[in-house]
Amino acid sequence: MILKIAFRNIFRQKRRTILTALAMIVGFTLSSVFIGWSDGTYSNIITTFTGNRIGHIQVHSKGYLDKPSLYKTIDNVSTVGEAIQSIPEVEAWSPRLFTSGIGSVNEKSTAVQIIGIDVARETKATQFDKKVIEGTTLAETASGQAVIGKGLAKILAATVGSELVIFSQAADGSIANDLYEVVGIMESGNAITDRVACYLHIEDAQQLFVLEGRVHEIVITVSKINKVAMVTENIRTRINDPLLEVSPWQVVAKSFYKAMKADQQGDAIGRVIIMLIVAIGVLNTVLMSVLERTREYGVLKALGTKPRQIFSLVVTEVIIIAIASICVGAILGILINYLLSINGIKLPQEFTYGGMKFGTMYTEVNMRSLIIPAVTVMLSAIIVSLFPAIKAARILPAKAMRTH
Amino acid sequence: MEQTQNHEVIVTDKVTKIFDPDGIPVNALNGIDLTITSGEFTAIVGPSGSGKTTFLNIISGLDTPTEGKVWLSGKIISEMNGNELSDFRRDNIGFIFQAYNLIPVLTVEENVEYIMLLAGVSKAERHERVKKMLKAVGLEGVEDRLPTQLSGGQQQRVAIARAMVSEPTIILADEPTANLDSKTGNDLLEMMRRLNDETGMTFIFSTHDPMVMDRARRLITLRDGQVDTDETK
Ligand SMILES: Nc1ncnc2c1ncn2[C@@H]1O[C@H](COP(=O)(O)OP(=O)(O)OP(=O)(O)O)[C@@H](O)[C@H]1O
Ligand SMILES: [Mg+2]
Repeated sequence: MILKIAFRNIFRQKRRTILTALAMIVGFTLSSVFIGWSDGTYSNIITTFTGNRIGHIQVHSKGYLDKPSLYKTIDNVSTVGEAIQSIPEVEAWSPRLFTSGIGSVNEKSTAVQIIGIDVARETKATQFDKKVIEGTTLAETASGQAVIGKGLAKILAATVGSELVIFSQAADGSIANDLYEVVGIMESGNAITDRVACYLHIEDAQQLFVLEGRVHEIVITVSKINKVAMVTENIRTRINDPLLEVSPWQVVAKSFYKAMKADQQGDAIGRVIIMLIVAIGVLNTVLMSVLERTREYGVLKALGTKPRQIFSLVVTEVIIIAIASICVGAILGILINYLLSINGIKLPQEFTYGGMKFGTMYTEVNMRSLIIPAVTVMLSAIIVSLFPAIKAARILPAKAMRTH
Repeated sequence: MEQTQNHEVIVTDKVTKIFDPDGIPVNALNGIDLTITSGEFTAIVGPSGSGKTTFLNIISGLDTPTEGKVWLSGKIISEMNGNELSDFRRDNIGFIFQAYNLIPVLTVEENVEYIMLLAGVSKAERHERVKKMLKAVGLEGVEDRLPTQLSGGQQQRVAIARAMVSEPTIILADEPTANLDSKTGNDLLEMMRRLNDETGMTFIFSTHDPMVMDRARRLITLRDGQVDTDETK
């Protein structure tokens, strides 16, 4: 009965219902697009960040991530690689070797980080070739070539064609020393690494450091970023090697991940402000409606309706409007987020995040952008209707009916 | 009337009501001692401000006396809490107000049904009783209309049907005819009196209208919150 009266009141007071619903719909949609936008931005950043550099999942020898060392290697690369490749969600995997040394071109010398890569695999996994801005990428077979970072090229005054001497210590303690031809200069998007990065073919690097058949890192990319946790687990069980560690990007790039999480917390403030606006709008209309219907509640109470029933009548009306508004808002939210996820929004100015540049942002259609606004709209609507509902429940019939 | 079969429905003992909204006390009721027996058809009359509405509110538990006691069906209603009063009103008192009686979003049938719904009467019985009651007040054929689609007289008849349908101990009506023209008002009173005859239900109503007063079997006149005259015809 309460439900019936509530429903009919909603249709009777069309103007008020529409106003209340409008506040809720606008709030929901704004909040939904806000979340879609923010999530879209972050997954954009994550995709770029992981896709270009660290991949989605990495395999290392135990303890390497915390304290990298020349000796903490993965020795059974091909078996591990096969295990990884057998998982359908895996898109690509690529082994890497990391060491450091001194690099010299003519008279100039500086510390360099030597990264040995499997050129074909690295190209597939992180689009290595696209980062080369001058010259060419490395040949797919070992041939004494090097690609160096833009910053490093500047420090060493190296150009395409320069001869680069690398000097270091090999894994067996002997002196590692060889000559390479700079075939390309690359820009990763991260200026700090570009000042030290020196890429060699992995076999050249293995030979130089006497690490034949061994690598320090395997980078894996998956088809969908939200599958990372599942694939990580999958790889762990398939490799089943206690000496190896499988880490998702969140662990590999801990500080980046934390900074991003903190940024996302900041977005919550925006959401709170939107919900406050909704709350004020709803409170206003519900209070007005209760005041206007004082007499009606008085009659209901005189007839024997309990205060608690009057209370639920007021709250039920708001809940019904909220449910309808959430449905409409969800449709609008999905629609807008969908359109913006396809067309994107061109930013007036590019921005840099974690050393990466972004020009066009895309929103994302996800559950979060529906569930969070739904919960907030519903909660704030209920909370805001409590006060008018209590007011209505406490109406004294004798008094209410004196106001003719 | 066979007085022997009748029993006391309402007894008031020195009921006093003082309103003090803005520091200026108003003595609305000044020690009212009255006994209403079952089957009465009683009018409460008196000049404006004499305390008629206040008296009706207090004997129905819509308001509490400042002093004194009210017994309704042997229970002291002035000592009940909110929920007890809600149930007690629902089961014992039928209300007819001057205006805005009906729940605007419910149809005629649903308005009459409402109290029985609160009381948890079964659907079949509700339907049965509503039908009988609407027939008794001559409202067949408008069951599905909303109150706004009825004339003032029709609305008051719905209110009477609603008040009587759950067979309460007593029907209280505060100026039920004040918003009606005199012919409609008269017809309404005629009908109430007929229902009183047929069912033996107790009616108490307040009025300004001499024509309405004439139809009462007992006339209680209030003046300055006190019983001025009390005559039974
Ligand atoms: N809630 C209230 N607050 C303050 N004063 C009140 C209140 N209710 C009634 N009064 C006062 O109590 C007195 C009696 O009022 P009441 O409404 O009972 O008179 P009445 O006989 O019903 O008058 P009317 O014929 O105009 O309806 C009046 O002086 C009125 O102003
Ligand atoms: Mg009055």
